[in-house]
Parts: sequence; C-alpha cells; structure tokens
Amino acid sequence: MARPARLAAQGLAVALVVGLLALLGWRVANDSSKGVSQALKDGEHPTAPAFDLPRLDGRGRIDLASLRGKKPIVLDFWASWCIPCIRESKRLEAARRKEYGDRVAFIGVNTKDFSDDARKWQKKHGITYPSVHDGSGSVLTEWGGLPIPRIFFVARSGKVVGELIVEEDLPRYLRQIASS
Amino acid sequence: MRGLALVVLAALLVVPVARASERHPALSELEGEVMCPVCGTTLDQSNSPAAQQIKRVIASRIAAGDTKSQIKNRLVTEYGDAILAAPEHKGFGLLAWWLPIVGILAAAVIVGAGAWRWSRAREREPDGPRLDPALERRLDDELSRWDT
Repeated sequence: MARPARLAAQGLAVALVVGLLALLGWRVANDSSKGVSQALKDGEHPTAPAFDLPRLDGRGRIDLASLRGKKPIVLDFWASWCIPCIRESKRLEAARRKEYGDRVAFIGVNTKDFSDDARKWQKKHGITYPSVHDGSGSVLTEWGGLPIPRIFFVARSGKVVGELIVEEDLPRYLRQIASS
Repeated sequence: MRGLALVVLAALLVVPVARASERHPALSELEGEVMCPVCGTTLDQSNSPAAQQIKRVIASRIAAGDTKSQIKNRLVTEYGDAILAAPEHKGFGLLAWWLPIVGILAAAVIVGAGAWRWSRAREREPDGPRLDPALERRLDDELSRWDT
C-alpha cells in the first residue's frame, strides 16, 4: 500500500476509535435511562415522561402531556397476572370514588399484558378509572420497570412528587397533589 | 451428483414438516419461540404468572385452529416484536439474520486477502547481497573439492 494511502487509512481508524469513545462518553454523561423511580430515590422530582397510548376500552387515546397544568395525576402500572395489583388498584378506586375523583385524574397503565384479559380483570375487580395499554412495557421501563404494581403521583405542574412505597404514602401523596 | 440428490431429498422431507408445523403448531414448539415478557427467558423456561397467562392464550388459540403465524401476529400486536425469541424472516428482521453472515464472509475475505498479500510479499523478498564474483568462484572451487 502506498504511504499516503496507508497514512489515510490509519488516520481514519484512529478517528473512528476517537469518535466511538466520544460517543460512549456523551452517552454516559447524558444517561436519562435511570427511570423516574430511581430519580425519586435520588431525591429528584423529574417531569413526568410523556406517553400517548390507546385506551383499553377502545375509546381513543390518553396523552399524558395534555394533562400537564390541568390536573394532578395518579398513575397506576398494573397487569392482570399481577396478584398484588388487585389490592392496590382497588385502593385507588376507593380513593377516587370517595374523595378525589373530581380533583385528581386516575390513570391505569396496563403493561405486558393481553388487552382482553386486562378488560376482564377491570370488570371483575370493579376498576372504573381509565387505563391505557402498554403491551411492550416501554412506558413502564421509563418509569422504573418491573416489578409492578408501581404507583406514581404527579402534581398539576407535571412534576412527579412520589411513588407509593408504603401504605401510608397513598393518603399523604393524594392530599399533596390534590392541593397542587 | 450424489450429494446434490441428498440435499434435494432432505429439502423434500423438511418442507412438509415445516408446513404441518405452520398449520398445526404444538404448544411446546411455540413455548420455545416466544419470550416471557417479565423474565427474559422463553416461555418453556418460565413458570411466572405472566408466562402462564401467555401459555394459556397460546393453547386456546391452537385449540381454536389458529396457524403459527396467526398466533405470533396476535402476540406481536399485544406485546410488540420483543415477544418473539428470534426476529422474523421478513422485512427488517431479515437484517438480523443476514448481517452476521455477511460480516463473517467479509471478515474471511479481508483475512484471506491479507494472507495472500503477505505471502506474495515474502516471495518477492530479495535474496540478500550478491557475492563478489571472485569470492563466488573460490567458493565453487572449494565446494567441488569437497565433492571429489
């Protein structure tokens, strides 16, 4: 190989390696994949990641970003195969009916599940707040991934206030976002 | 010729089996081709509630007479492409099947070309500095004396 051609090839190889290293550095520095749950654990209050998913009942879609500034939100990630989800969703349903239905938007995110089974599950357990279908679980991943149930509380401003960890979190966070 | 006949015979045997599997899939077969969405393994290696739910649905669709493609399409509609253990042999999925093969072939061509160039370069290498004619003559004389 002629000397200029060899030098050009070597320069190209070095540039490629430097480019890949720069890309890796940028990716590490701008890692936004830790999820909402981890951000909350780190003491941050991130803006709720937007999603636009079809409703389980077939009545259009729900665009989370469109609710920003209008209503606080309780977001419930659930699936029909998830046994603990039954209890948590029933607690949310009770809170919605009893006190918060007109002040807070309750939205279920049915994840990694069959929509037919999910609809039957809602009917069986008397869950009436609307749910969207996140079959691939991509939205769940953004919020923290498995395990479920995962329940998040979003203030009217769109900032995520907290995640339900212990039983007492539900009334506490509901009061907080309802007055936001 | 005999080898070609064997290949044709093997193809003739495989095609009807594949068609039967498409029309009348077995649950065990699909369990190895579908992922459990919460465990990161195929269904046959998982007993989680989510895997059991999908197994139940697959069994019910087999009983209803669905083909393998219909069942897989239904699963992809609900869960997305990631529910399949291997990408499909069509569209963008083809890339995942062919890219490694193309990569291996390209690497083989590069290594082969490099080896060829290297061996040619060695052949062309000079034999070293030539001897002085007087010295060469003397060396020949010495050697011929040894021969006798």
